[in-house]
Amino acid sequence: MTAGAHILIVDDDPDFADALRTMLTGAGYEVTVAYDGRAGVAAARRARPDAILVDVMMEERTAGFFTVQELRRAPETARTPIVVISALYAQVEEFQVPPDPRWAGHDAFLPKPVDSDLLLARLATLLTRPAPVPGAPEE
Amino acid sequence: MGEVEEARAVSETVVVIDDDDAMRLACRQILAKSGYEVEEFADGSRGLDGIGAVRPGLVVVDLKMPGVSGLDVIGRIVRIDPTITIVVITGYATIGTAVDAMKAGAYDFLPKPFSPDELRLIVRRGFERRRLQLASRQCEMDRELQRRRFVTFVTHQLKTPLVAVHQYLDVLRRMGDGAEAAARRGEWLDRCLARTEELQHLIEDWLMLARLEGGTLVRQRVPLDLKAVLPEMLAGYQQLADARQVALAYELPDESYPIRGDRTCVGVLFDNLIANAIQYNRPGGTVRVHGARAPGEVVIDVVDTGRGIPADALPFVFDEFYRGHQPEGRRIEGTGLGLPICRLVATAMGGTIDVESTDGAGSTFRVRLPLLEDGTDGAGPGGEP
Repeated sequence: MTAGAHILIVDDDPDFADALRTMLTGAGYEVTVAYDGRAGVAAARRARPDAILVDVMMEERTAGFFTVQELRRAPETARTPIVVISALYAQVEEFQVPPDPRWAGHDAFLPKPVDSDLLLARLATLLTRPAPVPGAPEE
Repeated sequence: MGEVEEARAVSETVVVIDDDDAMRLACRQILAKSGYEVEEFADGSRGLDGIGAVRPGLVVVDLKMPGVSGLDVIGRIVRIDPTITIVVITGYATIGTAVDAMKAGAYDFLPKPFSPDELRLIVRRGFERRRLQLASRQCEMDRELQRRRFVTFVTHQLKTPLVAVHQYLDVLRRMGDGAEAAARRGEWLDRCLARTEELQHLIEDWLMLARLEGGTLVRQRVPLDLKAVLPEMLAGYQQLADARQVALAYELPDESYPIRGDRTCVGVLFDNLIANAIQYNRPGGTVRVHGARAPGEVVIDVVDTGRGIPADALPFVFDEFYRGHQPEGRRIEGTGLGLPICRLVATAMGGTIDVESTDGAGSTFRVRLPLLEDGTDGAGPGGEP
């Protein structure tokens, strides 16, 4: 059901992205990587991945959250599942990021380093959830 | 936080608390004439309610009132908002009561009878002091916020290489002994080592920066001649330069470039500049170290033929962790602390560091250090460590 799904990783650390890409490829996903927010949005709109992983602490600090917002605004990716990852899990509040994922528009939040099993489980859930009915209120 | 937030627009309202009707009226007339908003209350408890509601910038309070005493009123105002300036008036002007009032938190003391000018003056000074106090509070809060952000940011910088290593090892372990693991293992272990090294450099630089900022590092000041130090340092970079196909050259035409400084710190300063000049260079480029003597100072330029620094990035290159735009998918090595360290070292030795750059055509880092005048160059080249 989720095998062969296309995952886009947006992360500015090539090592981290490489490790994650290998893990996800091994799990049967097709993976592409973008190394900054702008390239990530462009790639997502072009390739329309089934899910997107975004690091929220790339070089431009909170740029990742702008990336999430942009992805949500773009019609091609407005409903694509987004998993936000960050090494700053414990200090999220300092950057005024409410823990409520709906605020930033992402669907899940995972701390870095990423627990592979947890990520695979999240992806499986997100990729098999029923598509939201257009116009229906968020819960 | 909220209290300072509100106080940003400094209240020009004065609350007068006095059981003497004539005195309240007089105060109101005098202060209203000077343009203050005035609210008056006939006793302490109503006055305190009024202060809670009005949030004045200044309170004039009679010390001797029936009911809640003036001293108690002062104490409670301080609890409501410690930035409110309190001026005490009373007919019983003794040193003892004045001291008690000040101890309780009053700003100044006005004995009855007083002239309109005396009241106006003390109120004006009271507001002035409050403005200064609020401004310095704001500064302190800004600094605190900046410090907390910085700590968060440093934490993130330290975690980044660690996260990469962790992720590699985690994925390697998951892959077990398959063909893919065998293909990847060597490359990934190399990357793990490189990132571990990055983390070590980061921690070392971070420590260096903290020690420089704490002023504990540039203690030792011995005479040094940069004419001897610099070629020696450049020689240490020959291998790196060769690997990057960058030529190293120096022009030190003067007889000597004597300064007074700490040998280790001078080393750190020029190490960072030379390493940067090589690293940000292009194959076939050069790094040139040029010395000159100006009145009272030694001027050393480290000139590279790299890709230069865009004009909009120049003001930030000495900031911690600042990095210019990086090519996609490639991390520039280095901790992001080298230039901040350079600036601290140069400053600690009484000098300066500046940069000039043309985007696409290279950069010149200029270090100016106080010249050690003749007659004191007792130590040999290089000095004592």
